[in-house]
Amino acid sequence: MFEVFIYETNQLLEQLEQIIIKSENSNFYSSNDIDEVFRIMHTIKGSSAMMEYSSISALSHSVEDLFCFIREANPSLVNFSQLTDLVLKSADFIKAEIGKIQDGGKTDTDSNFLIDEINAFLENLKKNSSCVLSNSAGPRVNFYGTEKGNLEEVNAKKTYKAVLCFEDDCKMENIRAIAVIQNIKDYAAEIFYSPSNINDDNESAEIIRIDGFKIYFKTDCNIDTVRDILSQTIFLKSLSLDELDSDDEIAEIKNCGCINSKPSINKNIQLKSKSINQKMISVNISKLDSLMDLVGELVISESMLTNNLNLQGRQLDYFNKAARQHRKIINTLQDIVMSIRMVSLSATFQKMNRIVRDAGKALNKNIRLVTVGEDTEVDKNIVEHISDPLMHIIRNAADHGIETVQERVHKNKEETGTITLEAKKSGGDVLIIVRDDGRGLDKNKILQKAKKNGLLKKPESSLTDREIYSFIYLPGFSTCEKVSEFSGRGVGMDVVIKNIGKIGGSVNVDSVAGEGTVVTIKIPLTLAIMNGMIVKVGSSTYTIPIVNIVESFIRREEDIITDPDGNELILIRGECYPVLRLYKHFGVETKKQSVSEGIIMMVENEDKRMCILVDELIGEQQVVVKALPYYIKNFKYAKGIEGCTLLSDGSISLILDVSELLNSYNGREMTACQA
Amino acid sequence: MKTVLIVDDAAFMRVTLKTLLERNNFKVSGEAVNGIEGIKKYIEVKPDIVTMDITMPEMDGVTALKEIIKINPNAKVIMISAMGQESMVKEAVLSGAVGFLVKPFKEEAVIKSLENL
Repeated sequence: MFEVFIYETNQLLEQLEQIIIKSENSNFYSSNDIDEVFRIMHTIKGSSAMMEYSSISALSHSVEDLFCFIREANPSLVNFSQLTDLVLKSADFIKAEIGKIQDGGKTDTDSNFLIDEINAFLENLKKNSSCVLSNSAGPRVNFYGTEKGNLEEVNAKKTYKAVLCFEDDCKMENIRAIAVIQNIKDYAAEIFYSPSNINDDNESAEIIRIDGFKIYFKTDCNIDTVRDILSQTIFLKSLSLDELDSDDEIAEIKNCGCINSKPSINKNIQLKSKSINQKMISVNISKLDSLMDLVGELVISESMLTNNLNLQGRQLDYFNKAARQHRKIINTLQDIVMSIRMVSLSATFQKMNRIVRDAGKALNKNIRLVTVGEDTEVDKNIVEHISDPLMHIIRNAADHGIETVQERVHKNKEETGTITLEAKKSGGDVLIIVRDDGRGLDKNKILQKAKKNGLLKKPESSLTDREIYSFIYLPGFSTCEKVSEFSGRGVGMDVVIKNIGKIGGSVNVDSVAGEGTVVTIKIPLTLAIMNGMIVKVGSSTYTIPIVNIVESFIRREEDIITDPDGNELILIRGECYPVLRLYKHFGVETKKQSVSEGIIMMVENEDKRMCILVDELIGEQQVVVKALPYYIKNFKYAKGIEGCTLLSDGSISLILDVSELLNSYNGREMTACQA
Repeated sequence: MKTVLIVDDAAFMRVTLKTLLERNNFKVSGEAVNGIEGIKKYIEVKPDIVTMDITMPEMDGVTALKEIIKINPNAKVIMISAMGQESMVKEAVLSGAVGFLVKPFKEEAVIKSLENL
């Protein structure tokens, strides 16, 4: 139940944030939005009160009050910016508290300072509001006669006096009293009660709490029936019921008056046919993780079974048929498990709205966030890891990238800076691109700083732009002179790299001075399972991700062209591609050194292509990706290896990182490419 | 065993009520997340008791209550409310709700009152 509380409250807060920021952007709170905020706060209030988190419930209560007033009174003058700040502050407070609760801590923080602020704002609003809430009390009529004017009831003989006490702490006693009246009015005529002003909240509730609720009424029902009816009242603590002989007591309180509440007119509301069906369940992520692991193991064990050495060389028609069926089912199972874990990036992207808004406000810049492709789905694990780095990058863009309004005007740029957040799929990867139209990176400044910090390991002249930009990811690197609240401590960008590296991703920066910066994060679509082509080179087996493979073919050694630098190229359909002999690259011994003996595989990544020479193809297989240990990853001959996997015969195969292989060729082949 | 339909948009409240009720020999025969669904479910499962949240999306609890009372004037609907909703609760009571609970509520009190219905 605890998890449900945490989960739901977090979801509601996220929803709240979205509404608030959307409304602030349009500078208008639609009545729908106000209703939503009200409802969200109301739900949080209720749940947190049940969980006895008083600071949260008190705070949400005051926000609820505020929005209740806005909803009812519809004040014309609302300082939206201040309102937004208040709500966001409250949301932050609740979020922090929830975080503490989640970590097993206590919520001892006092929310009163925020409540005071909200109340002050509300008071102010009430004062300024031209529209005054009218608390018109209903007309006071001395007795309650039944609407029907039923003869039987009017002629009722017996007079009863009932005193009802409600359970302590049941709250809203006066309305409970109204309920009681409502209950007996069908059976009784001439109902009088005390206290009579149960429409008036506080006083009557207090009186009923202390003295109980007294009712006098006439009915022709016998005392047991009356008792039965009254006993149905919920939260009833005690009931005393007496039959009266005279009407004296009634006459006494008749003067006090009692209320006449007409049953409210039922509106005819047509049922909307549309209804949101709750067809979702939430599942603990650790269960999904183990499910995923198990499916991974299942994939391996399936291929170990069907490719078992004991089966080789035998006529196994029936077995193969069954095995194919088996494999098909496992594939489907795997697809489904994968899709369960996929979540769209939209929630993460939405969060960035808040970051941009806060940064813009604090830095006094006009910044707009444009999101593209937020429907892109990635593994749940990845979403968790991407959020922090993305926040850093966006803050950086807002702080260092986007210029102040004056500066932008001066440069003939649009006053409002734009940060574009884009997600798209590219092969087996997802690209997340953060683009700003700010001042761009200052190459010279970065170089100087790098020199000063002793980061230059190559002669300055031989550094490519990309290499220079990549300095900003090193720990302790910040070209910004002053440290701001948002970025500039120089810890941000290396955290970005670390976090993204953890999930097997990479970061690239491109920039044009004066025009903006583009940060591209490349992350794998999923971490666990992929389709791979198993190839053999000498005695080693390698796995090439299927998504990277374009085609494979056999050529003669004579087709290979060698450029003056000694790089090998091959001409295919009028286009020239670099050739990489895998045995050379990894230093593996093989007998099939000639192109005509082996097979050439054309691979591509991000529109770049190259040809890889391997000895033979073994076959396509689903492989479970295991990360390389740290010490191997840093080994210099391990360039171009993404991970490893277990094959069906139990041997290990290295998975090629095609993009790294391509990049190691980058710059060399392009010069000679266009034949 | 009495059957109960829980209408509440907050999953937390639904779980809380459900556990509480099932622990005390009530049968939760259905759950709904808003008024419209609540009415549909009411017709479908015909529960002995309905617990109805007041603030819900699509259709609020009081409106749903009125519709249910139209379908069955003797329906036993208990409103789930919170402090600050006095006027809504009053409206609900006048429209035929048999009673209401105010969050946060205590288990014994809830059960005792439901058993009396």
